[in-house]
Amino acid sequence: MRHLASYILTRILLAIPMVFIMLTIVFVVLRVMPGDPVNAMLGAHAPQRVIDQKKEELGLNKPIMVQYVEYLGKLVRLDLGDSMIFKQKVSQPIIEKLPATIELTLFGLLVSLGIGIPLGAAAARRRRSGGDFGIRLYANVVYCIPVFWMGLLLQLFFGVWLGWFPVSGRTSPRMEASVFSKTGFYIVDTLRIGNLAAFGDVMWHLVLPSITLGVVLSGIFVRLTRANMLDVLKSDYILAARARGIPERRVVYNHGLRNALIPIVTMLGLQFSLLLAGAILTESTFSWPGMGRLLLERIYLRDYPTIQGVIVVYTLVVSAMSLLVDLLYAAIDPRVKY
Amino acid sequence: MTARFSPAAGAASALRWFSRARRKYRTEWWIMIAGILVIALIVAMTVFPHVFTKYNPNDQDAGGQMTAPSRAHIMGTDNLSRDVWARVVYGAQTILGVAIAAALLSALIGIPLGLLSGFAGGLVDRILSLVMDSVYSFPGLILAIAFAAMLGPGVINITLAVAVVYIPTYFRLVRGQTLSIKEEVYVEAARAIGARRGTILGRYVFPNVIATVVVVLSLNIADAIMTEAALSYIGLGLPAGIPDWGMDLSMGKKFLPSGTWWMITFPGLMIMLLALGFTMLGEGLAEILNPRLLEK
Amino acid sequence: MKRLLAILFVLGLALSVSSLGAQSTLVYGTTDKVTDMDPASAYDFHTWEIFQNVSAGLMAYTPGTTNLVPALATGYTVNAKGDEYTFKLRKGVKFSNGTPFNAAVVKWNIDRVAKLNGDPAALVTQYVKSVDVVDDYTVKFVLTGPLSYLPALVATPTYFPMDPSVFPVDKIVKDVGELKGGEIVALGPYRLTSFKRDEEAVFEANPNYWGKEPGIKKIIIRYFADATTMRLALEKGEIDLAFKSMNPSDVNDLMKSSKYNAVKIPGPQIRYLCFETSESVFKDKKLRQAVAALINRPEINQKVYLGQNAPLYSMIPMGMSYHTDDWKTVGDGNIAAAENILKGLGYTKDKPLTFDLWYTPSHYGDPEVNMAEVLKAQLEKTPLVRTTIKSAEWATYKQQWNNKQMPVFFLGWYPDYIDPDDYTSPFAQTEGSKGNGIFFSSKAWDDMFIMEQQTTKDSVRNSTFAKMQKMWTDEAMTVPIYQGNLYIFSKKNVTGVKIGPTLIFNYDQLKLK
Repeated sequence: MRHLASYILTRILLAIPMVFIMLTIVFVVLRVMPGDPVNAMLGAHAPQRVIDQKKEELGLNKPIMVQYVEYLGKLVRLDLGDSMIFKQKVSQPIIEKLPATIELTLFGLLVSLGIGIPLGAAAARRRRSGGDFGIRLYANVVYCIPVFWMGLLLQLFFGVWLGWFPVSGRTSPRMEASVFSKTGFYIVDTLRIGNLAAFGDVMWHLVLPSITLGVVLSGIFVRLTRANMLDVLKSDYILAARARGIPERRVVYNHGLRNALIPIVTMLGLQFSLLLAGAILTESTFSWPGMGRLLLERIYLRDYPTIQGVIVVYTLVVSAMSLLVDLLYAAIDPRVKY
Repeated sequence: MTARFSPAAGAASALRWFSRARRKYRTEWWIMIAGILVIALIVAMTVFPHVFTKYNPNDQDAGGQMTAPSRAHIMGTDNLSRDVWARVVYGAQTILGVAIAAALLSALIGIPLGLLSGFAGGLVDRILSLVMDSVYSFPGLILAIAFAAMLGPGVINITLAVAVVYIPTYFRLVRGQTLSIKEEVYVEAARAIGARRGTILGRYVFPNVIATVVVVLSLNIADAIMTEAALSYIGLGLPAGIPDWGMDLSMGKKFLPSGTWWMITFPGLMIMLLALGFTMLGEGLAEILNPRLLEK
Repeated sequence: MKRLLAILFVLGLALSVSSLGAQSTLVYGTTDKVTDMDPASAYDFHTWEIFQNVSAGLMAYTPGTTNLVPALATGYTVNAKGDEYTFKLRKGVKFSNGTPFNAAVVKWNIDRVAKLNGDPAALVTQYVKSVDVVDDYTVKFVLTGPLSYLPALVATPTYFPMDPSVFPVDKIVKDVGELKGGEIVALGPYRLTSFKRDEEAVFEANPNYWGKEPGIKKIIIRYFADATTMRLALEKGEIDLAFKSMNPSDVNDLMKSSKYNAVKIPGPQIRYLCFETSESVFKDKKLRQAVAALINRPEINQKVYLGQNAPLYSMIPMGMSYHTDDWKTVGDGNIAAAENILKGLGYTKDKPLTFDLWYTPSHYGDPEVNMAEVLKAQLEKTPLVRTTIKSAEWATYKQQWNNKQMPVFFLGWYPDYIDPDDYTSPFAQTEGSKGNGIFFSSKAWDDMFIMEQQTTKDSVRNSTFAKMQKMWTDEAMTVPIYQGNLYIFSKKNVTGVKIGPTLIFNYDQLKLK
């Protein structure tokens, strides 16, 4: 247990430089952006004196290094600062919208895995056959489909022409989300209060966006699974299992796949990043009120603190996911020493 | 990959080895060829657009407004009466140009840094690796969005924004290779005979790294294509007046529910096709050069 | 398998249940955004619409018309000079938390708007010198000079009284959450009970309303990121009503469809081209005239808006008093006239007039980039003009026009108050022109404006505006392009959509059948 605790601590400590670096990069370049948020806030008619006053109030007239150090100081106290455009703490819209993105990304991941792993395993089994080729073709083609294009087509086919699914938002407008929303994770919220109708509504709204996100990224898992499976299927213990007369199906899935999955787990962290990125485009297409949309809107408004805050949070999420994945990996593979 | 002492002899042996590969890796070979053909076709569109279409992509009187594909306009016309096929053909210049330029730029920055880092080791290596790993694990598109927003619209800006994302890819690849090659016997031998560090880097390490780089470059261009399309789709890419597939897709989606399917179908297909072309090239090459090379 | 069936059953139930609560609730979709929840700062169409429904003013327009009638006031008198208006206030009106409405509240609010000096503050500070409390139910506005249209001004949300015990007097409220109790407390037919920025706003009927009760008890506004998704949502029945801003192709389809009520509102919102007249190459009015002559309004209307708007030949919109079509004398796409001027000034094919043409991508809706592209093609029909299209997001756009960085740029205008002065002085009077990046200044013009602002004689205003519009084609500091129509689509069972030339959308008039 002592080892585990120090392992976790080390990993957390390693995440800090990453946050720091990403933050610095964005902080510096943000200051180079054309467009002045103060002007945007006060409007075209404001006299110079008022503009200067506002700049001072927001601390924008201090030298960059000073602003930077102040920001870092706040960050250490877990204060992401105040929005420059709206009267709110940066953390407020982030706390509101992060669950939406996480929910979407998680379901997208589920879809990716659900499609990718079985297909990858099947391809490995049928190596060099037509099926293998077809599945690999699928994997490559699907990754080249622009996420937003797929989203549009799905919206049109299944949302409008067939009318089976909604095309926007997390809930139906009449199902006032503010009523049941507690954590922001609607799946959890609706189940907690036992509102099955709302739960169904939320799930229903998740279908098209998750499929959009998941299918495009399933190709990666197909390839990963297949590659790992191929490795594993060549190994000695598989040979031994076959020699013992275990049916091929069990050899492949029980012995082979289980071991092949371990490396996949290590890649989950990285793939989660891809999913987060794809989620921005999905959110844009489906009017999903998540961090991606928040980022885009605040970029247009030149709301520096919120943009920085969003990037910091993305970094934290990615690090957290990495950490989780590493822990998971350590848990399932007894060979890993910590 | 086995080492070669003289890069000059490499060409001849590469040729021999390609034909051996073709016999052995039939499918992968054809995949690669297919990729090359697609790329060649689109490059042709870029260089000789007038061969493919007689219309100007900005001509707002090419035909009727939003007419469906027909003999006169094989991909129909858009909402400003411009010929869609013409916009597709000329749009190739933009997306291909940006993607290749961005990939090359990333490589140009990432490779030397990777060589340096892998070769030098120590603190330099540790710091560079840390920075690169941080950027690498961060969602690439988000970084590109942030940079594109900061730099503003423009072809050069969008190239820079896309390039930034892939620098760590080359860095890590080359660094890894450098680290392993550094330990090879022939490098030790070179050191023993007193070869200078630069010579070792340039003559022994670099040529062996190059093969992998070509594969990664190809796949990278495919990725850069998708990133560029995404940026223009969001509206952070290019100013109006330059035909661009991503922007046309974003413009066309407004007319989709009205039944004007051709405005988004073709640009979307082209993005997919071009990305697929480079992917196939990269994948084919990878399997042929070393089936386990890109296992990530 | 059984689990799957159970889930499907629940989904089916959810579908049927979600359509049950529809009767007394209306869902309204829009792509507009709320800016600041504060009349001292809000200066955009949608936020004003919200204030029109959760608060009220001393005067108001009868829904769907341009008739001003007393609302929170019961009447007013004007002194002989025309620079003092005395309003008598309605008695017995209370805010929803019990605070009484009286003259002190009116004064407090006007003073606050002036002090905070937000975007719309000029609507107050330019005209009102002070507000005096005569007694609890009588308030006097002392103006900076004689003014004919103060009643129209007090009908704008900038003048609407908010509850002093809830609104902070010294800062601008951006979000509802900042207010005491987390709710806007005012005097309108609805209360804003919930607000999630960019997602939804929920309105419920105000039980303390001094006027007639609204027809629909609950209204939910659903905010959409783009118009296409909104159209699809309407078609799927997810929303009952869609207003602002639809894509032209969607408007066409929905107008043809028999499933929706379509209301077309010819509105006084205009789009026009602006020139920076003090330092750019366009300080020469002849060049402005040349560019203006090249504009082909019907083509822009057809290509970009599929014919849904109306070409406009004066800065004063059609349907408003004193409008004359003076720009028709210049014509559309008058290449000959333009080339005449340009050749006369020495421009040739090898040395054309080159400049940047600016637009802002999202503030005015999606077709904006198309308008820029079409205009560029029109301007370049003569080889003597070459332009480059550039764009900047609204924040940067505003900054750039202040810094004189854009020689030619598009702008749009929704009326603050219904008067031709609102369509002319912000662009051609020295103060206003500066604020809009045009920097035009001429004593002759300023005198004309003072004349029409201060007189109450219709004949004087008529002749002044007639002269002004004629002179506009000569000075051409702005060139009108089109006048917009607004479209509202609603399900067949929604009635009571009464939006007139004021473009005010009164939710309390809506009814569900």
